[in-house]
Amino acid sequence: MIRFLASLTFRAAVVLSGAALATFALLWHAPGDPALAIAMARYDALATTDVIAIVRAEAGLDVGFWPAFLAWVGPLLVGDFGQSSVTGHDVLPEVMTALSYTMPLALAGLLIGLAISLPLAIIATRRPRGWLDRFAVAIASIGAAIPAYWLGLLLILLFAVHLGWLPAMGARTSAHIVLPALTLGLGVAASLTRILRSGILEARDQPFLPAFTRRGVAAGGIERDHVAPHAAIPVITVFGLELAFLLEGAVMVEVIFARPGLGSFLVNAIEARDFPKVQAVVVLAAILFVTVNLLIDLLYRTLDPRIGERDA
Amino acid sequence: MRSVYLLAMAFVVLAVAGPWLAPHDPAQINIPHRLSPPSAEWVLGTDALGRDILSRLLHGARWSLGLAFVISVIGLCIGTLAGLVAALGGKLADWLVMRTTDTFLAFPDLIAAVVIAGVLGAGTTSLIFALTVTGWMRYARVARGIGLSLQSQGYVVQARLAGLSPFAIAWWHYLPSLLPSLAVVWTGMFARAILGISALGFLGFGVQPPMPEWGTMLLDARIHMRSTPLQMIWPGMAVVICVLAINLTGDALRDSLAEQERRS
Repeated sequence: MIRFLASLTFRAAVVLSGAALATFALLWHAPGDPALAIAMARYDALATTDVIAIVRAEAGLDVGFWPAFLAWVGPLLVGDFGQSSVTGHDVLPEVMTALSYTMPLALAGLLIGLAISLPLAIIATRRPRGWLDRFAVAIASIGAAIPAYWLGLLLILLFAVHLGWLPAMGARTSAHIVLPALTLGLGVAASLTRILRSGILEARDQPFLPAFTRRGVAAGGIERDHVAPHAAIPVITVFGLELAFLLEGAVMVEVIFARPGLGSFLVNAIEARDFPKVQAVVVLAAILFVTVNLLIDLLYRTLDPRIGERDA
Repeated sequence: MRSVYLLAMAFVVLAVAGPWLAPHDPAQINIPHRLSPPSAEWVLGTDALGRDILSRLLHGARWSLGLAFVISVIGLCIGTLAGLVAALGGKLADWLVMRTTDTFLAFPDLIAAVVIAGVLGAGTTSLIFALTVTGWMRYARVARGIGLSLQSQGYVVQARLAGLSPFAIAWWHYLPSLLPSLAVVWTGMFARAILGISALGFLGFGVQPPMPEWGTMLLDARIHMRSTPLQMIWPGMAVVICVLAINLTGDALRDSLAEQERRS
């Protein structure tokens, strides 16, 4: 187990280093002169050649790629994400503020998704290929094809413009989270229903289940002790993907609903060419993503000991 | 199941023939008739500049589907190559390729695509680059997985003993066995590319106006949501139906593959 853990952690470290390098390389080679952009943002018309040169030296842009990369990664290891190139403020507190809007949204989206998909999948698999099952599959397929931004616009149209029940833009009151969370949640529900359904069906198909029935084990007990753990494995895999979906969905959804979360933060930072902010968001997303996938790998091993043997 | 293939074919035909089927010039500005409701003249109505929405959708199919096709095929080539190198190139190559794959998988892909397209500057080239860079990894994983399982197959072992080079083995023995599974992955990535293109277009980082790309059209339509909500419905519908048709085609393909495998 310790060897398995060590190899997983090592792999995660390699991947994260690669991710940081890729991010930095992209922004380093981005078209346009970052020093000029910073000077323009700070001093506007006063951005003369001398000012630009000073800014370049201050921002550490006059050294080569590798020194600049190390100067960024070093502080990153101790949690220092640097300063905004536009305002000069520390990036981390701003990211955390944005995150405090995105986290509740992602969580609410996940809960809505579970609240819809779990009962739907359980009821649908009572009678495979029955009308309810077909309905669930159809809903899941259509749901997977609907882009989050369009669904969001449709919900705004219906609930905010047409019915006037819910607020659409901003994040002033707690009611403002309902439409964005619903947008995310419906998308999550579509993919989760699909996975849960096939997971449960496959688990019910296991050859040892009739043996339990014949030995007189109650149906509920079989479901709980044998079907549920089997169905859990594909579901856990999907949680990693679901997290990606939630993060991406949150980006789009926050832009549509003008919610000041990580998505709006990222898009604004890109438009302002405020690269330290962009780097911070991308690296945080990668850390989050890799950590969750690491936990998933561990969870797998606990649920199905065979996996570790094969994969470590 | 066959009807799904027909629907997908219909979209291909629409994307190819769209510009000839379009009743109007998609760029023809017609201010007096701006934001017209659907009528005999403008079947789906007109947008804020009086351009015919149906014509724009038909021309847009070429952008959305055509670009998605290009992106998914480039990804297919890169990913398959990477997967084959990993499977055939020995332990070190395998480790390097797979860790590179993991690294690219470490980013939620739409976020990475938004950052790449946004940082490189809006435009078609950076759009293709952004979605390709974030879209080759799944092919690589599938190609490697199947490649490793082929390694101990009798005919591959014999080919190796007969002195065939790894390239020849990859070409003659691996690729044919990989293609069916890669085709299934490809349908999924094709649909993903359509969603990605329209998402980037909607954020303003993708295909630029006045090109009639579906996501860009949605961005335009959003401003006039209150007065002409229908204008916002059409491009979204186009994306949904298209992605649905492709996904269902992929499902049908996968099912018939599984069926074949069970028979053999």
